[in-house]
Amino acid sequence: MIWRFISFKKLNAFENMAIDEAIFRENQRTDTPPTIRFYSWSPPSVSLGYFQATWKEVNVEACRRYSVDIVRRPTGGKAVLHENDLTYAVIASERNPLFPPDILGTYKVISSCVAGGLSELGIEAEMEGEGRSNPDDSLKAACFSSPSRYELLVKKKKICGSAQLRSKGIFLQHGSILVDFDPLKTCALLLPQHGDQTRQAEKLHGSVTSIHDQVGTSVSVENICHVIKNSFEKKLDIKLVEGCLTLEEESLKLQLMSDKYMNDKWNMEGKVQSDGSKNSD
Amino acid sequence: MKVFPDDLLYNREHAWVRVEGELATIGITDYAQEKLGEILAIELPEVDSYVERDEPFGTIESAKGVFELISPVSGEVVNVNEDILDDIGIINSDPHDTGWMITLEMSDSEELDDLLDSREYHDFVLKEAESD
Repeated sequence: MIWRFISFKKLNAFENMAIDEAIFRENQRTDTPPTIRFYSWSPPSVSLGYFQATWKEVNVEACRRYSVDIVRRPTGGKAVLHENDLTYAVIASERNPLFPPDILGTYKVISSCVAGGLSELGIEAEMEGEGRSNPDDSLKAACFSSPSRYELLVKKKKICGSAQLRSKGIFLQHGSILVDFDPLKTCALLLPQHGDQTRQAEKLHGSVTSIHDQVGTSVSVENICHVIKNSFEKKLDIKLVEGCLTLEEESLKLQLMSDKYMNDKWNMEGKVQSDGSKNSD
Repeated sequence: MKVFPDDLLYNREHAWVRVEGELATIGITDYAQEKLGEILAIELPEVDSYVERDEPFGTIESAKGVFELISPVSGEVVNVNEDILDDIGIINSDPHDTGWMITLEMSDSEELDDLLDSREYHDFVLKEAESD
């Protein structure tokens, strides 16, 4: 089976989200092969889960001070700081025989592919079975503080978080693999100003890890992409063929960027003016 | 296996519709709520907005992800169930009745002809569950 592979790019938050949603919407409309994309974020950005309340979950002032963009994802879950991570997006049909129709089964399949890639780097990541308790209630807004089922842990510390959107038989799964981790900056950007951030950062450090932490040296993003791509091909018995966006996806991406992802109303309030997936006021 | 009320019609996206004249009340099925697990958040359209058949009329989040709710029919929203906004657990506990989501004034009642009756929906779900 052939899948489209969109190779690693470093883009801004708004374009990254618009690309993923454009692929997802086009996949709903046409019978296209599954797609995997790897990317990172420039400038660094915070992405919020679909239903999160921006002002409650993110320190907006601190993000502005650090020139960190804020974007709302189409997928669920918690807030993520994208500065030293590798993000993947998988877009496919729920009916693809490689993915069990039950929702958690899809997380499990994709997590096993990511774990296979990490294993090539010498990192033995395990899938979280039943969820792990949050180390501190005050950390609950931050994605990496609270693993859900089938997310990846190394020695009980989370290394990869993921979230999904499903509609009309298609799913989009986002995953963020930590290449490096800065608990202090994560706390400064993702948590409210009150509270002892040094203490919170220590707790977060105790529950989160990164590729750098585990390997002990820097690993290039290109190398990480390479091993994870190979693992997807091997575990799913697929061929990933390099491709780019179709004309329709490109045009929808531009529309989504201007109408939705570059729109403060969407990012700060979760609303768009017209034709988006959320309703206007 | 679950029993699906025979006074409802269903689409393949696991939404049900109860028809009273030109009014269509919409919710998600018991099968859907069980598959999604505990529902944590919901977003519904506002009264007077227009919903298209086979397009999202709302969004829900469970611990498993975010899911768009796909409307079985087109029409103008005339009522939204405020009770589920206050107590979202109703969707899980009573999806076919008090867990209803919106009522539309249908713009084309012929769209109902394309929906499944309870027996057809039961067979559809059975097939889907078998491949799970």
